[in-house]
Amino acid sequence: MTASIHTGPVQRPRRRPNKSRRAETRMALLFVAPAILLVLVFRIIPLLWGFGISLTSATATAPGEFIGAGNYLRALNDPNFIASIANAGIILLSVPVFITIPMILAILIDQGVPGRGFFRSVYFFPVVLSSVIIGSIFSIVLGFNGSLNALLKFVGLPGVDWLGRSATALPVTLAIQSWSTFGMGVLIFLAGLSTVPKDMVEAARLEGAKMWQIWWHVIIPSLRPIIEFSTVITTIGLLTSMFGLIYVLTGGGPGTATTVPEYLIWSAQGRLNQPSYASALSIILFVITGALAWLQIRMMSRNTNL
Amino acid sequence: MHKLKLMAAVAAVFVATPALAQEITVWDVNVSRNPTYYDAAKAAFEKAHPGATLNFVGQPDAEYYNLLNTALASKTGPDVIWANGGAQAKNLVGGLLPLNDKLPDLIKSIVGQSAFTVDGKLYFIPFTLQGHVAYYNKDMYKAVGLDPEKPPTTWAEVTKMCDTFKAAGKACFMMANKEGYEAEFFLSEMANQSLTAQQQADWASGKLHWSDAPIKAILQTWVDTYKNGWYQEGGNSQTMFLDEFTLFEQGTAANVWGLLSNVAHWKAFEKDMGADKVGVYPMPSPTVASDQHEGSPGVPLDGGVGYGVNKDSAHIDLALDAIKTLLSPEVLSVLVNDAGIVPANTAVDVSSIPSPGLKQIMGWLATRSVPTTHANASAAELDEWHRQSQALLNGDITVDAAAAALDKVQAQAKPQK
Repeated sequence: MTASIHTGPVQRPRRRPNKSRRAETRMALLFVAPAILLVLVFRIIPLLWGFGISLTSATATAPGEFIGAGNYLRALNDPNFIASIANAGIILLSVPVFITIPMILAILIDQGVPGRGFFRSVYFFPVVLSSVIIGSIFSIVLGFNGSLNALLKFVGLPGVDWLGRSATALPVTLAIQSWSTFGMGVLIFLAGLSTVPKDMVEAARLEGAKMWQIWWHVIIPSLRPIIEFSTVITTIGLLTSMFGLIYVLTGGGPGTATTVPEYLIWSAQGRLNQPSYASALSIILFVITGALAWLQIRMMSRNTNL
Repeated sequence: MHKLKLMAAVAAVFVATPALAQEITVWDVNVSRNPTYYDAAKAAFEKAHPGATLNFVGQPDAEYYNLLNTALASKTGPDVIWANGGAQAKNLVGGLLPLNDKLPDLIKSIVGQSAFTVDGKLYFIPFTLQGHVAYYNKDMYKAVGLDPEKPPTTWAEVTKMCDTFKAAGKACFMMANKEGYEAEFFLSEMANQSLTAQQQADWASGKLHWSDAPIKAILQTWVDTYKNGWYQEGGNSQTMFLDEFTLFEQGTAANVWGLLSNVAHWKAFEKDMGADKVGVYPMPSPTVASDQHEGSPGVPLDGGVGYGVNKDSAHIDLALDAIKTLLSPEVLSVLVNDAGIVPANTAVDVSSIPSPGLKQIMGWLATRSVPTTHANASAAELDEWHRQSQALLNGDITVDAAAAALDKVQAQAKPQK
């Protein structure tokens, strides 16, 4: 069939580009293959496998039976899962704080506050610590007999069980997560700030614009792509990377005050020997995270086209 | 052809190596804590089985069951498996070999089997007995005018003792419920006298519910004792192992609910505080069931930790022999002397151990042992009880609502026919 297409003097000159294009495609595939293979083996296949397990009553030691959407219906009636989704919602509401603090600090450093080199290093320091170490440090600081309560008692205020009270456990955990990750945000915003046209800032200053007007009308609009990028990675990070901190700080408690979906997944798999239920919760979390990421990536794409 | 032969020979060597090596792998969480016991077991086993190796792999406490479940699911688990008695052991039975007919002589001398038995089949052989008693600080008793040689034997005396400590501005009992373990201990301590033998059996089978009067009363006592100021502040964020026990030794509270074997037990407290400074008593319950006696509280007791055999092990006979060695009186007595466990093998003699606490405990075990209530709850119920107990202390939920939530989990975990 190919031979008949490529016969004749007119088509001959096209054969070479086709050949080289095919060779190029083969080479490209060769380079991409390891990445595709890794994604397939460690992401796509486990995802499909997990989805399959989520439709059964399997335990760690027994394959179980096909129960269709049973695990998903159970999740919808599980008060602990509902509570974990509500907590995830509260966590997502805190995303603007996770974006604003590093942005303000980065702008201040970029504007040349005294000691900016020092602040840049200090701000980044928590990023290199593992969540377990950060959790352990703050368990000591925030324990009922910890340093913070000692300080409060010193100034005549009563101590608070920061990690043991339902009202304070999640806000405190979020504050610690923010402290441990904002250094990376500062770095990203500093990189973004280097692209803000200096002449525009200078022109605004010469026109008599005040500091806050320069920030609001010149700098922050220029940072829009960075803000959107930071929002995407912060959202995904908050939904999928708080396990270590929560495990060490509160163990998901008190009650369900700091229980997030990923913690519940770990608990169903490891403590309760219910991998099928854990798989169903994982798929639900995947769908939620995927939908949020899709929305945010659409926003980013729109911005790129501008 | 030569290449093919060479490949076949290499393949044969790889296939044959594990069989020739006969390596028995044991997963355990205490390997680094009690090296003398494991060294003694390894030496005895390898002497009796020339060419075979007994290899102990120490696993992290907190992640142990997660790792084990994953390994069993992928058929890469160890030959011999260590487990805690109760819900955790019973959760694993699908991957284990029933041992009733495999080691009959050894089983005859072992007590505390119920924590490892499901439907009449014994899946782990316990080597320690675990139980729950209260330990107290004699100096603190003296300081508030209480007789350090007369610990409470009734609930009224417990209440009076706690009122005395409260009046002196001291915490009566330690509370460490960050992981929910204090709530587990509390359940067994309060049930020990308030449940009849029949109710304990009904509880184990799921016929006695969390919302039934005897259990709901325990939930209410959990809330009442907290409201009455029996505990130090910050209990919901305090870890139990081992911070709670260190704080008890430092005098944060006068009493603590502790264990009989391994950690937080007579040996640890006597070593750290002095044998004359720490006392022990069986915990009285608020109500006394018809088949119990006022003034003679029971000791919740069952198999503590045990060893089982992976049903997918390539060397089942050797794995069984490894358990025989690990539980033999000669090897187990090393663990008794070094770690201060109460052995599940009745052939081990503990009479020569110079501990006043152990002597009292051994006396109670003979006459006053009762089932460990929390060990007979399912893992899912305990997981939920951890959450509900924290919410109850914070006043986020009522006792009725907590009992209803626990009933729901119990019904799923132990469906009634």
